[in-house]
Amino acid sequence: MKINTWFGILETGRAGEILESRLFSKDIRELALHSLSLRESRSNLPPEGFDLKAAALESGFVESPAEYYSLLHEVTLEAAKIQVSGALTPDQRIIQAVEALDDINETTNSLSERLFEWYGGYFPESGLGGEDLARFIVKYGSRENIDSEDLLYSKAKNSMGAKLEPADEVLLKGFAESVCSLYERRRQIETYIEDSMELVAPNLKLIAGPMLGARLISLAGSLEKLAEFPSSTIQVIGASKALFKHLRARAPSPKHGIIYSHPLINTAPWWVRGKIARAVASKLSLAARIDFYSRTKDPSLIEKLEAKVLQIRTLNPKPPQKRKESGAKLKKRRKK
Amino acid sequence: MPEIKKLSDGIFEVIKDKKQLATQNLNLGKTVYGEKLISIEGVEYRTWDPRRSKLGAMILKRFNIPLTKDAKVLYLGAASGTTVSHVSDIVSEGAVYAVEFAPRSMRDLIGLASRRKNIHPILADAGKPESYSHLIEPVDLIFQDVAQPNQAEIAARNAIRFLKKDGNLLLSIKARSIDTAANPKEVFKEEVKKLEQAFEPGFEIINAKDLMPYHEDHLGVLARFKK
Repeated sequence: MKINTWFGILETGRAGEILESRLFSKDIRELALHSLSLRESRSNLPPEGFDLKAAALESGFVESPAEYYSLLHEVTLEAAKIQVSGALTPDQRIIQAVEALDDINETTNSLSERLFEWYGGYFPESGLGGEDLARFIVKYGSRENIDSEDLLYSKAKNSMGAKLEPADEVLLKGFAESVCSLYERRRQIETYIEDSMELVAPNLKLIAGPMLGARLISLAGSLEKLAEFPSSTIQVIGASKALFKHLRARAPSPKHGIIYSHPLINTAPWWVRGKIARAVASKLSLAARIDFYSRTKDPSLIEKLEAKVLQIRTLNPKPPQKRKESGAKLKKRRKK
Repeated sequence: MPEIKKLSDGIFEVIKDKKQLATQNLNLGKTVYGEKLISIEGVEYRTWDPRRSKLGAMILKRFNIPLTKDAKVLYLGAASGTTVSHVSDIVSEGAVYAVEFAPRSMRDLIGLASRRKNIHPILADAGKPESYSHLIEPVDLIFQDVAQPNQAEIAARNAIRFLKKDGNLLLSIKARSIDTAANPKEVFKEEVKKLEQAFEPGFEIINAKDLMPYHEDHLGVLARFKK
């Protein structure tokens, strides 16, 4: 019987004795690549309980157990390295970008707020916030340096804010610069995600939009996993707390997870949101599958989805009547 | 002055202020995950945190760990190698075949394996033992910590292929990864039953205990393969 091993191909007899062996050369890289090629092989597997080390010694591949382990160590290490370096696929890069975006958003918001509070002491009337305020501070520093052309000129001149000392001005300007560059970075990452999504998952981008699509990939772990999810799972990704509460106790099932941010869902009236979420999820799962397995863009997907949503909305124009708990109250009201 | 007490082959208890589980460091001067190094009479020990390691918890729960320094171990679910490093310490003259599925964890494991000659890292799905059967010799012990719903099946398939005649299986069962809603005690009963019956020739359960207070809703199982 023929046996594939990491060090060679063996031909064994009935009692398991080695009749013939074709041994590979002891080139670590070659052996690693060969070992990886055997992963999917379903034929010529070593039989249950086959002693590879004894066979390697018997066939003369190695002289000693120590040599066997040392070579095996190098080969497995090399093979694992090859696999790990191949694991950073484009969808994994999108996931890193999405997670970086979330971190940047969080940091930007809290630093922005800090800047607002801090500079507010010197120019409370500005009415600026976020990036506008940061840009203002980078440009002028103290409100006294404001351009006479600037729309805020008169407000700045008549402000009740304190005088900004030079040392504080340097500090605040630097701080504002950091905030500005964070906003800049955020736009850069968003553009990156949009571009990558077009390449990696064009259909998902079409149905979900670049950000929601990227977040779905991120929460699923990879485009492959997202493509394998049933659409009912996609519908509630990101609502795991509510879902498990529903499974454990008598809580209602969640209608939507992160896909709630989809404009077709969050603009829908409440009584059709669950139905629309289901329709959107089913098209998202189709899109993810097309993206993973063929990657050809299919514009008809979004048309079908829009038609379906329209149908749901026309079939359910009014909120469902709440069932009255007992007829008694109703009768009373009528009497009045 | 710290004291040392041997619990079993390669597994020690260091008494310095308090009792701590430890193994003899194979990679001198280096730590793996921020554990302490304690030298006693010229021998360097690495403390072992049972809260970060199911195997460590099992030892403190008085599981009789059948490991000798030349043992061959198949470790399924190696993760970043926290526990693998201690197994590598214990089987200083043996081998650890460390199977892990997640590339991210494998990155850390590769770092560990490149410093420890007895660790053979394998990036593969523990549920598909055929995919790494060309690499692994018969082993004395299978340790499994995979958090998959079909844990018992994975253990059986690997045991049939790789476990020696009187080899042992050490299993950490996480109730939450089998059924999030059910009562952990019921899940454990089910899983132990599966191990004993569902497969031919099955396992003989030697010890089964929960891993409280170190790990919540986890059951440790020591079983022998009936071959």
